Amino acid sequence: MSAWEKLTALPREIVLGLVLIAMILPTLKPLGLPLMVGTMAKDWYDTVDALPSGSVVLFDIGFGSGGYPSLGPATIAALHQMFEKDLKIILMATALEGSMMYPLIMNKVKPEENYGAVYGEDYVFLGYIAGGQTAMAGVLGDLHAIVSTEYTGKPIDQIPLLKGVEGAEDISLVAYITTSGDTSEGWVYQAYSAYGKDVVGGMLSMMTTSMKPYYDSGQLKGLLDGVKGAADMEFLTRHPGDAIKSSDVLSFSQTLVLIFIIVGNISYWGVKTSEKEGR
Amino acid sequence: MPVSSDPLIWIAAFYTIAATSYAFRDNILFKFSENTYIGAAAGHAIVMGIKNIRDYGWAHIMKGEMIYWVVFVLGVMLYFRFHRQYYWLYRYPIAFLVGNGVGISIRAAIHSDFIKQIIETAKPLTGATAFDTFNNIIIFIGVITALSHFIFTYEGMHKGTLGWMPKVGRWMILLALGASFGNTIMTRFGQYQGRILFLLRDWLGIVA
Repeated sequence: MSAWEKLTALPREIVLGLVLIAMILPTLKPLGLPLMVGTMAKDWYDTVDALPSGSVVLFDIGFGSGGYPSLGPATIAALHQMFEKDLKIILMATALEGSMMYPLIMNKVKPEENYGAVYGEDYVFLGYIAGGQTAMAGVLGDLHAIVSTEYTGKPIDQIPLLKGVEGAEDISLVAYITTSGDTSEGWVYQAYSAYGKDVVGGMLSMMTTSMKPYYDSGQLKGLLDGVKGAADMEFLTRHPGDAIKSSDVLSFSQTLVLIFIIVGNISYWGVKTSEKEGR
Repeated sequence: MPVSSDPLIWIAAFYTIAATSYAFRDNILFKFSENTYIGAAAGHAIVMGIKNIRDYGWAHIMKGEMIYWVVFVLGVMLYFRFHRQYYWLYRYPIAFLVGNGVGISIRAAIHSDFIKQIIETAKPLTGATAFDTFNNIIIFIGVITALSHFIFTYEGMHKGTLGWMPKVGRWMILLALGASFGNTIMTRFGQYQGRILFLLRDWLGIVA
């Protein structure tokens, strides 16, 4: 086996081991690489910032444990900004595990401790609502007809925040953070197209290419692109967290992937050239 | 920071390492973590399903909203697919679900995916800045050529003088796929980085 062939057949344990090292080293000793805030995250921040105090925001936690490392930091930063602005937040989950993510997120945001917010008056969690777009259409159409109790089982008629919220007409902004393409498009369809509501969305980076046309056409007022979007939001809201810590690591490890791609291509052509010469 | 003394953190750390170990080779620890996850997720889904029936169905019936009995009956009818003689009954709730789902999404999809996208694509090529103009030109060329790639009813589109258009279109599609693949790598790294941070900070206490 020639040197080129050995390079193309690099054992995956070595590749993965190097990637692991490239992720651990900058975590232990951050490089402090500069962070350039993207316009999509800035637009999310500005859209929320422009809302008057007391405006009602519908916030969907559309991810479970698999999406938490990517989208948890974005959700935490986004909620910090909303509580700082004294907005009224109705949280719900379109993901089955979303209700398990809620306490993890709120343990970091600490709305009562940090902002003096009161559950039921300043924010409420409706829990998981099944049905995808049907649920979205139902919540925006007639909230009280769809949801009878909040997450802990208390009737929503007894929740002061929800007394004046019947549906889309009482909601100023719809925000969602999700790992699901259907949910992401669903909110654009049901909130923007059906009711003309302002919508901001956060998603995994791999979904950004398919959702960017909605942002470009003004259907999404802001977009948080995975960990990068989360890092931008943490920077903008001045609440540095896991995403900013991860930025260095991502830059470093993805440079390694680029090197692997270049090495892979060079070795591929090296093998082809040596085969031709051999003939 | 000392190593965590919280047993829940230790359990989470064990499962993180066990699940990731598959990247190197299939092994018994991975199998154990996989099966535990499936079991826990299935259990959670059942509990949430029962909670949904209670909160979004039964609660309404208890308030006297009798129309919800129709939903209950339709739900029960789904199980007729397991019955040899009356299996056809399950088609009715399925028809209801499909019709309802399509009706709800299509009313807005036409506006979002067609009208708004066509308006956005058909805007003037010149933008506010040189970069915007460049982007508009790329979008214009990309849309026209990528669409031409999928015209199969006119043979002349793929041969002769027009043959360059679908070829450029194919390159445009490949560029889009490449961008999507790059973003996928970024997503996976981002997700795993979150777990690395958890292991080094929350579990081992090595980083602040």
